[in-house]
Amino acid sequence: MSEENWIEVGSTDSIEEEDLIRFDHQDKTFCVYKLTDGFYATDGICTHEAVHLEDGLVMDDEIECPMHQGIFNIKSGEALSPPACEDLKTYPVKVDNDKIFIKID
Amino acid sequence: MKKNILILGGGQAGIYAAREIRQNDSESNIKILGEENLLPYERPPLSKDFLLDKKNEEDLYFHSSEVLKNENIDFENVSITKVDFENKKLFTKNDDVYIYDSLLIATGSENKKLSLYNNLKNDVYYLRNLEEAKTIKEKVLNKNKITIIGGGFIGLEIASSLSQLQKKVTVIEIGDQLMGRIIPKQIADLVQSTHIDYGNKIILNKQIDKITKKNANFEILLNDNSLIETDFVIAGIGSTPSVKLFENTNLNLDNGIVTNQFCETSIKNVYAAGDVSNFYHPLYERNMRLESYQHAQNHGICAGKNIAGVKTEYTSIPWMWSDQFNLNLQLTGICNDYDEIIERGNDINNGIIYFFLKNKIIRGACGLGIAGKIGRDIRITSKLSEKNTIVDKQILSDQNQKLNKLIQK
Repeated sequence: MSEENWIEVGSTDSIEEEDLIRFDHQDKTFCVYKLTDGFYATDGICTHEAVHLEDGLVMDDEIECPMHQGIFNIKSGEALSPPACEDLKTYPVKVDNDKIFIKID
Repeated sequence: MKKNILILGGGQAGIYAAREIRQNDSESNIKILGEENLLPYERPPLSKDFLLDKKNEEDLYFHSSEVLKNENIDFENVSITKVDFENKKLFTKNDDVYIYDSLLIATGSENKKLSLYNNLKNDVYYLRNLEEAKTIKEKVLNKNKITIIGGGFIGLEIASSLSQLQKKVTVIEIGDQLMGRIIPKQIADLVQSTHIDYGNKIILNKQIDKITKKNANFEILLNDNSLIETDFVIAGIGSTPSVKLFENTNLNLDNGIVTNQFCETSIKNVYAAGDVSNFYHPLYERNMRLESYQHAQNHGICAGKNIAGVKTEYTSIPWMWSDQFNLNLQLTGICNDYDEIIERGNDINNGIIYFFLKNKIIRGACGLGIAGKIGRDIRITSKLSEKNTIVDKQILSDQNQKLNKLIQK
């Protein structure tokens, strides 16, 4: 695991608990979440239609698409409820000195 | 026990029911009888991304034939012309017979048609299925002035798409606002302004007296004697449940097929789901019929569970959306039975939502915003209304305060 792939997202207090922020890096969009047990990251665009998940509802480890209500598990990326049927890609997250980093491949 | 399960109707409710039955019952035969020679597909893109060439036919199918094969779900393209509920049989016009132990009716709804002189019947186009969408897409290519009769969702979505294809679009609506059947006037007026900003012409409060063909074009005479010249006419004036097949049977019909909260009809082992069903909703303590994507999906799933013996009440909160230009409109719950309205936001860039309350309880909400801006709050409203929550109006009306804090866990 090379160090240069860890990208700084922001400080840990930039996300409220059970919420998310959108993070754009190069031409990609990610969502970074703060759940009760830590930080998580997924792709920022729904797998059903090209909709940003940043305006979706985070609840009980799940993110729900704001346009068509597809639901994904934030930790595993699993598509839990139609119309979403393709899983969401997830990314490793680490916290270092109150800063959040995600590992982009 | 291994059963023969037939699903009449190859739309969204049908396919979701079939897959749900299979999840709970690995043995029974499941067959979908579809009138279109196409696997079940998504209809919302037909008026939007399909017309705009952002999606093609292959993108529309819910599931591939592989998925159906793996789950041992049969699909047959056939038109049923007679039903014998007593002997549990369906017939085609050639008297081919289909026998069932359990039947799900998911025949959907069909477009209301304009009453026109016979010679114009083929000159007015409607959009419900893929074939019709393909026809419109091809025919408008060399047309410029398009008139859409009916300012509901389908008409306005087509108006939005055709405007983006550089057509000059006129929408004629009989009512005093757009989308008047279910959308609050405040939101309808914002949508109307957007259409006008993009160059569409919106005519309200007008009826059509006559449509006359002039060579390849048409003249539409309105009831105020004004005349609209147009190259192409599309109508979207509402729909009715597809129940013709059952009109002379014992099946209880009233604005569709009457079902209880378990998707059961008046006839044992016969279920109905989706647009065709006038179902009992326990939360609202009344029957309702919905024509929406989420309802077709969830009602189909609920019917599937009940058919497979997993007794399940349908309690889904109504929810629907429409995309026009860069705007996303969403509605949840009930927005026409209220004693108080609360507004949240005043700029469609950040989203505007109207909440509808009755006896201080949040009953529904309708919002409009760029892309998915209102999705989260609308979804939270669904959850709040599901639990009959009395909410702090200050929080509802203040866009700086997050609504997810209101959800009781």
